[in-house]
Amino acid sequence: MNDASVPWVRRALASNSGVLIAALVFAVLLGTVAGINTGPLTYFDISFMSSGGATSALAAIGQTIVILSGGFDLSAGAVISLVNVFLAQSMDPANMEASVLLWSLAGIGIGMLCGAFNGIFIAFLRLQPIVVTLSTMFIIQGVTLLLMDKPGGFVSPSIGAFYMGDAIPGWIPMPLVVVGGVLLAWAWLKRTRLGTAIYAVGSDPDAAAAVGVRVPFVRFLVYVIAGGCYGLAGVFISAQTGSGDPLVGNPLLLSMFAAVVVGGTRLGGGRGGPLGSAIGAYILIIVVNILLVLNVSAYYSTIAEGMILILAVLAGSLSRSSTLARQLRIIGTRLSARRAGTLVKQRAEGDTRLRLAASADQPAAGERPGFFKRNADVLRYTLPAYLCFVLVVAVTQLWLGGALLNTGYWNSLVVLSSFLAILALGQGTVILTGGLDLSVPWTIGLCGILLAGMVKGSDAALIYALPAVLLLACVIGLVNGLGIVFLGLSPIVMTLATNGLLQGVALLYSNGTPDGFSSPMLRWFMTGKIGPVAPVVLFMVLFVIAAVTLLGRTPFGRRVYGIGNGLRAAELSGIPVGRTLILVYVLSAVCSALVGILLTGFSGQASLGMGDDYLLPSIAVVVVGGALITGGRGHYLGMLGGVLLLTALQTFLAGTTLPYATRAILFGLVVLGAVIALRDRKS
Amino acid sequence: MNLATRLKRFALGTALAAGLLSGVTAADAAEKYKIFLSMSYIGNDWQAEAANMIKAMAAHKSFADKVDLQVQVAGPNAQRQIQQINAMVQAGADAIVIYPISPTALNQVIKNACDKGVKIFAYDGDISEPCAHNISIDQEEAGRVTAEWLAKKLNGKGNIVVLTGVPGTSVDQLRTKAAKDVFAKYPDIKIVAEGVGMWSQAVTRTELSKITATQSWDQIDGLWLQVGCYTANAMQLEAGKKPEELKPCAGEGSNGGRIQMLPIGTEVEGAASPYAPLGAPRISYASPPYSGALALKLAVQALEGKEVPMRVTLPLPIVTSETIKLCNEGTWDEMKAGCNAFLPSLVSNPGWFASIFSEETPEIGLNAALVGQPEP
Repeated sequence: MNDASVPWVRRALASNSGVLIAALVFAVLLGTVAGINTGPLTYFDISFMSSGGATSALAAIGQTIVILSGGFDLSAGAVISLVNVFLAQSMDPANMEASVLLWSLAGIGIGMLCGAFNGIFIAFLRLQPIVVTLSTMFIIQGVTLLLMDKPGGFVSPSIGAFYMGDAIPGWIPMPLVVVGGVLLAWAWLKRTRLGTAIYAVGSDPDAAAAVGVRVPFVRFLVYVIAGGCYGLAGVFISAQTGSGDPLVGNPLLLSMFAAVVVGGTRLGGGRGGPLGSAIGAYILIIVVNILLVLNVSAYYSTIAEGMILILAVLAGSLSRSSTLARQLRIIGTRLSARRAGTLVKQRAEGDTRLRLAASADQPAAGERPGFFKRNADVLRYTLPAYLCFVLVVAVTQLWLGGALLNTGYWNSLVVLSSFLAILALGQGTVILTGGLDLSVPWTIGLCGILLAGMVKGSDAALIYALPAVLLLACVIGLVNGLGIVFLGLSPIVMTLATNGLLQGVALLYSNGTPDGFSSPMLRWFMTGKIGPVAPVVLFMVLFVIAAVTLLGRTPFGRRVYGIGNGLRAAELSGIPVGRTLILVYVLSAVCSALVGILLTGFSGQASLGMGDDYLLPSIAVVVVGGALITGGRGHYLGMLGGVLLLTALQTFLAGTTLPYATRAILFGLVVLGAVIALRDRKS
Repeated sequence: MNLATRLKRFALGTALAAGLLSGVTAADAAEKYKIFLSMSYIGNDWQAEAANMIKAMAAHKSFADKVDLQVQVAGPNAQRQIQQINAMVQAGADAIVIYPISPTALNQVIKNACDKGVKIFAYDGDISEPCAHNISIDQEEAGRVTAEWLAKKLNGKGNIVVLTGVPGTSVDQLRTKAAKDVFAKYPDIKIVAEGVGMWSQAVTRTELSKITATQSWDQIDGLWLQVGCYTANAMQLEAGKKPEELKPCAGEGSNGGRIQMLPIGTEVEGAASPYAPLGAPRISYASPPYSGALALKLAVQALEGKEVPMRVTLPLPIVTSETIKLCNEGTWDEMKAGCNAFLPSLVSNPGWFASIFSEETPEIGLNAALVGQPEP
């Protein structure tokens, strides 16, 4: 593409294809709304739509900059809530003419401070972005609730009038100017050395450092800039709503990632840009209008959204270099190779390995290094979770008593840990390959509801219900895997879409009220006793052994680590990458289904949304247990340590009468403390 | 906007939509009121039940030829609900019935809708914008009454466990604060553990498991839970307690909890422990899921030009062990006669909310809540 003979138009088209496709998709959706709606789009409609998507757009711009630098920011939604609540709480209700500039700067400033907090830990202490921002998310949510424990407060109408008003009356609404202004600022920044450095750090931090980029400083600035964007989004939502709500920003998080991906930015960094994300945010908000004008029934809305998400991203990747096209070409090549009889499988068997020097097959001279030396790395990143766990148990004993020598305590701890421990295998394996499974919540929900619906209290029905549910899980995993491998969709997009799809299916199946309940045997399994412990405790012992063996001692496990350390390298070393990845997502879905089954036994019935509380913890335990979110490093026993730590911490907090806000802050601090101990010491 | 243009735009709009989607003739549609329902998240029992009752109300013979109801879901995101409400106004809504995600965040868009002559009715949660009609219970009363019952039941003395709803919401804050104010008056009542129940039976189970990991049931004398007494009773049975030993529990109006309140030995079709009569000492209250259906009914009345109050405070549905009574079929007439719990053979989900009776809504009974079918 750098060939000078290629006209600049085509070059520009190729390098901005993500943005162009997103803009095209948006135009089509807007046209649909305008076409079906009662009248032509008026200036008022445009103005309103521009304010509707502005908060998400501003936040998505910030998130994009973080992602471009190879990071990840889960605290974005919490920062928006914090700024909103701060503004609504501190403005004087008598002052109708509060200064727009002053309060905007205050909001942006708070955002930047939060960003700086993230940045210090991520850039200078070299902690993993996902777990730092997860901790800050909890801490900021706690602080927000301390500031304001229920919706209320006051935001001066002058702020609303400014941000909701017109830049040029009748022509350009203010929200577009604000979003446009931020985009222009980015366009300027991109041309500076810092802008180049951000892309460079995202593409390859080592190479960037080698050419003299101060990587930690760039990373730090990225989080500060992103924080400023969230802050502005918080100011904007305050203007839009005229009041404060401590929960207003939290649900924006997932749609923010969707906006980034729809806008053509690649998760993992190095490619894409904020313009696409801003358009992506508007695409997602206009979907609301689409669902309305098409009168899509409530139960189908999440399904429709999932499909739109997939189609929008697919449309953005349709080209000769797309994964789908490549997969089709590979299939074609394989077929012709088969006809020609040159496929590897068709060639004569026999050992065709190169004969290396004889010493390679023999153990090296000298003593085999000791256990601690051999496993030094694994120990270093798995031990901190266990140390923190011991600490939490000790505190529980001192503060509440009745922990250390109480079998009931240990039994409850293991039973409560079992859900996350099982999810940690699935989510952990996905993360080891460098992916992420966001379809966990509704895989749990749908499987639980289906099981309860089929079992209806009969033990005999378990004989067919269990295999049926697990089979369904295999299908869910297969769909995820195929989408990721053959359509080349990013794991986040694919699993997010699947999650919406499953939610729709669960609602349709249950008609909104799931019936059926677990059978006596399943209930006994979770809440009964064999000797001093529940049967599930014994099951967990077997599960942990199986999980450690699967990841540590089987070819499958080795392939997983191989893929995580480098997809291309794994491919070239002959690892069947596609097949392994599909199996990984099947494993994750089966683990989720197992949790759905156990939760149904634990609660006695299944309910909609029963899996919602397990998504973020399933990621957190994996990372707290020492795994790298970018893949390749991690041990199941470490993740198990993470599970025990978080469950013990929650058990301790539940036994106290601390208010929720304080708990959230404590929870965040402990997670942060655990990962500081995990710090990567190499530069 | 004057009435004539509104009617015209409305007729045109419905004709287009009808032609595309349903095939109803324009003449039919033009006489109907176009009413939208903007729901929040539909992933829980309460929301689904409320939606069923609203649909049943719209399908009742007294409304079927007057109302064209369209249901949309905003999810948990206030931004989307803002966008959705505006899209509904643009689509020519005559009235919008809303389950508000936030009491404050929607104010501006609602004011805008009111200015265009759209009637706004919020159910369950309140909207602070004055032009919106609010239909809900008095949350503080709910917290106070249940806490007073528990304090009296414990003779003003004992260790209690408190589980809240979703932190950061007005409903939770008002209920919990009112209850704690009551407990503060009894120096011998001690809150020994406080958890976040999220208004969910499943979360209650994990929270109570964590609490009882360090404090045994013998150390707890009573429970004040916004949702979860059914689960708490089930857990006490699993821990080896006898039904007579169950702790007093102030909590939600789930059908499972109501069935447990029936005297031991009551013949109940479809009962299986713990979804069975236990004689549990309970006070059961609820934010009743019929509020949405009532909101729709009031919206139609408002459109017909009747005077409708801006604020309808629903009577707090309270059932105690003394007033519990089993329904056989669950028709409105039967509930009017005083029954308030339903057979497990009809309602197989114990977490299902049983406070579905209102004097004001003879159009809907058990079938409305279960499957969206109005009373004949």
